Amino acid sequence: MKPVKSVTIIDDPQVHEDQHVHAVYDQIASHFSSTRYKPWPIIAKFLSDLPTGWIGLDSGTGNGKYLPLPADRPGSILTIGLDRSRNLLQIAQHAGSEPGCPVTREVVWGDVLGDGWRSGVFDYTISIATIHHLASHDRRKLAVQVRATSRLLQAVSPVHGRVMIYVWAIEQDELSKRSIPASDTNGSDNPMTGEDVFVPWVMSQGQHTAKGKFKNDVETPVYNRYYHMFAKGELEQLTVQAADEFGLMVGSRESANTKGCRGVEIIQEGWERSNYYVELRRWVS
Amino acid sequence: MVRLITHNLLACHVKGCTTNNFPLVFQDVQVELQEAEFNPDFIRNMLSRLEWTALVSAAKQVGDTSLPPEQPDMMDDELLQKLHHVLMEIHVTDGAMVCQNCNHIYPISNGIPNMLLAEHEIG
Repeated sequence: MKPVKSVTIIDDPQVHEDQHVHAVYDQIASHFSSTRYKPWPIIAKFLSDLPTGWIGLDSGTGNGKYLPLPADRPGSILTIGLDRSRNLLQIAQHAGSEPGCPVTREVVWGDVLGDGWRSGVFDYTISIATIHHLASHDRRKLAVQVRATSRLLQAVSPVHGRVMIYVWAIEQDELSKRSIPASDTNGSDNPMTGEDVFVPWVMSQGQHTAKGKFKNDVETPVYNRYYHMFAKGELEQLTVQAADEFGLMVGSRESANTKGCRGVEIIQEGWERSNYYVELRRWVS
Repeated sequence: MVRLITHNLLACHVKGCTTNNFPLVFQDVQVELQEAEFNPDFIRNMLSRLEWTALVSAAKQVGDTSLPPEQPDMMDDELLQKLHHVLMEIHVTDGAMVCQNCNHIYPISNGIPNMLLAEHEIG
């Protein structure tokens, strides 16, 4: 079991995030990617249910493992991958390529808090294992996460846009390789605040980093990645706040009393394999 | 890669730059052609997301003049083929995209556009 360390952010949040998220992924890109190839079933199903001709954004695409989906209808939708790590994007750019049959994916170097798109131009956005990396001081944490969620809602069509979000849960299943110190998960007065932790990434022997290959006699490098582990109910709370900030009603289209109201419906939410997820759909009454 | 399908969705997001921030204009671009499988249903269904005039002018900037200036009402197979080529097979590998409003330059290198902003440019 890899121990997870509790952490408090004391330096500038942007510096903290650069150091403990962006720089780490640039260093471990190749090794990280070789361990991340299996799509989560619920996301695979989400993508496979989308109509032909839909265009979407994978915000925090990592190695781009969702870009080639759906597997049964390749090329029926187009997912554009966005990430902060350029080294991961270079891998994502060729996600799903077979030897002798290279495929090129659309990838963009950018920040999930950025907004470099025509408003509402996408049919869907997915944000998988990304929002939990956004760092800030405790009081402002929610603000940053809310803004990222709000960006996802803003990027999709007001009429039919769909959003799928996955974040890491405090509640880990028995298959998880990580152990969470028990004292860290119940030290808070508020059960909805989750936990800030460092999750170590241990480079395996002979793995390449951006700077070159490690020899056997050199100590194996360990990189600490910053995570906010979500508590039960926290993702839903985040969604409601983001909708609120963006001026959307939360509920079904039928719940709107007048015509022309804008809203978002929570289609499904839950816990799957150590992650919380939520699926959203925008609507206009 | 920056294909024209992606270019048609991108807009400048520098703080305060909210009008005339689309489309970005290609500058000093290098282009590579890569064959892609033709999926007429995908092209037909995704068309309503595109800004036609922006697409035609972007295509001209990368040396393709096959599209009519106005979007035709009827999409025949020949036009869908042309659209497929323009949207899916032309890859901009290097160069830049420039905002017509604030002149911000978004560099493209090895097929990856850089949409990151400096701290003071973030809205």
